[in-house]
Amino acid sequence: MFGVFCKLFARGIRDFGLHPWAQLLTLAAVTLVTFLSGFFLLCFTNLNQELNITRGEVVYQVFWKADTGMDLVKSRWDEMRHLPWLTEMKTFTPDEALDALLKESQTDGGKSISAHAGWLKERNPLPPTAMLHFSPHEADLDAWNKATHGYLEKLPGVETVRANPLKDDLTKAWKAFANSVMWPVIGFLAFLLALVVGNTIKLSLVHRSDEIDILQLVGARNWFIRLPLLVTGTLQGIMGGTLAVGLLWLAWYHLKDVLNFSPLFMELHFLPFEQSVLLVALPALMGFVSSWIAVRN
Amino acid sequence: MLKVQHLSHNFGTHWALKNCSFQLEKGDFLFLSGPSGAGKTTLLRLLYASLPVQRGLVEVAGFDLKKLRSGQVPLLRRQVSVVFQDFKILPHRTVYDNVAIALEVRCLPPQHIDRRVRAVVRGLGLENRIGLLCGELSGGEQQRVAVARSIVVNPQILLADEPTGNLDPELSRRMMDIFKQFHTYGTTVVLATHSPELIAQHPKAKLLRLDDGKITAANWPGAVIENCADDDETCAAGRPSGLRIHA
Repeated sequence: MFGVFCKLFARGIRDFGLHPWAQLLTLAAVTLVTFLSGFFLLCFTNLNQELNITRGEVVYQVFWKADTGMDLVKSRWDEMRHLPWLTEMKTFTPDEALDALLKESQTDGGKSISAHAGWLKERNPLPPTAMLHFSPHEADLDAWNKATHGYLEKLPGVETVRANPLKDDLTKAWKAFANSVMWPVIGFLAFLLALVVGNTIKLSLVHRSDEIDILQLVGARNWFIRLPLLVTGTLQGIMGGTLAVGLLWLAWYHLKDVLNFSPLFMELHFLPFEQSVLLVALPALMGFVSSWIAVRN
Repeated sequence: MLKVQHLSHNFGTHWALKNCSFQLEKGDFLFLSGPSGAGKTTLLRLLYASLPVQRGLVEVAGFDLKKLRSGQVPLLRRQVSVVFQDFKILPHRTVYDNVAIALEVRCLPPQHIDRRVRAVVRGLGLENRIGLLCGELSGGEQQRVAVARSIVVNPQILLADEPTGNLDPELSRRMMDIFKQFHTYGTTVVLATHSPELIAQHPKAKLLRLDDGKITAANWPGAVIENCADDDETCAAGRPSGLRIHA
């Protein structure tokens, strides 16, 4: 019995060669749909994570005028370290800012800035800056934001203050959008997936109608006829899902720092292991179910 | 073994079979004769549950086909083998695979399948063709493969629908010899043909003639000759009537 099962399983795998173009196109379609679902999931997961990390967090970036004396700036930095709700503060003197810029330009492969490093150090155009992270537990957050922004702007020598309460608002808005749009879209993509795989299995049934007729004539039970087709459908799902996860990883690898800039500072993370497994398991399940529906008559 | 009583079957308004009744015992050999369109194929299709029984009673190898559930159809077909005029074999599979398929569906051990397939293939003179694709074989060889697939399972009943229709007279004679030889092992054979030459090869066999869906002649007491008029629908609907003719 086990031998028969293995033989039918092997026949299901071998059936990929029956009409390779149709199988290949189905595989491409399954991969594309799963990739799109995974991409949506990646965005959703990252924004959710970001929202959890930055919930209630406000970041201010303060720029002093370039000609401001560092003694004055440093005294203000000491003062700012005692601000209420401050959780983290990073400061950059013009030299530190320039070093950071040069270092970043080297890692990006840029040569134009590095080539003029000596000249830039003599005529450093960068101002002193400070980045302040707050986690304010205020009843009226808007009022606190307004007051803090006003205080920082009025510090002596300050040229510009950039605030990012936007980050919080953006992620909240995105989460609302995701809840109302993301899951229906993923559901729709899963439905498409089922149609695509089911259609291929139907095609396979038409192609193999003679064989199925003969199997029925010699007394084959339904499971004997269906098993290879179910194996083919399920394998389509597994292969498409695995390819999609691979492509998703490549896309993530190249895009992980694309939002890692001021004022967002979002580093994209790859999907958790469970969700990656889900991206393979779900197409496999859809492949199985759609094949089952295709062959049930 | 095989019992048909007041069997009628229609396709829309056309009655393909009209009130047919006959009975066969184990080991009988029956020729089902008649012109094209007489209802021979319809009768055979009813016997292997390819068509549902609409009116009348059909019992085959202990199965009441009117009460047969879809899950029981494979069980019936393991007792009843069928050979077709167009062979119904898989041209892209080897001779071995085509014959073995009938045993594989029964989930038998591979060694048993191998032994049976090789024995039957040898018996039909196909041993040197066993690894060839069926599409590469001649018509006569393909028909022998189809017969091998049917007899490899030792069926209780063998149905053959114009099995020599695509073969020349010499091959037809040899094919008939195979059926006769298999019949000697005790299998009930029902062979549909409109060829008098084929019937003449087995003069001791039972003969049942169908014309326009009605049994019009038989040479044994187990068959009922239908004499109802062509436009008599109550006859087709299964009124027990007719004249019993003894051979």
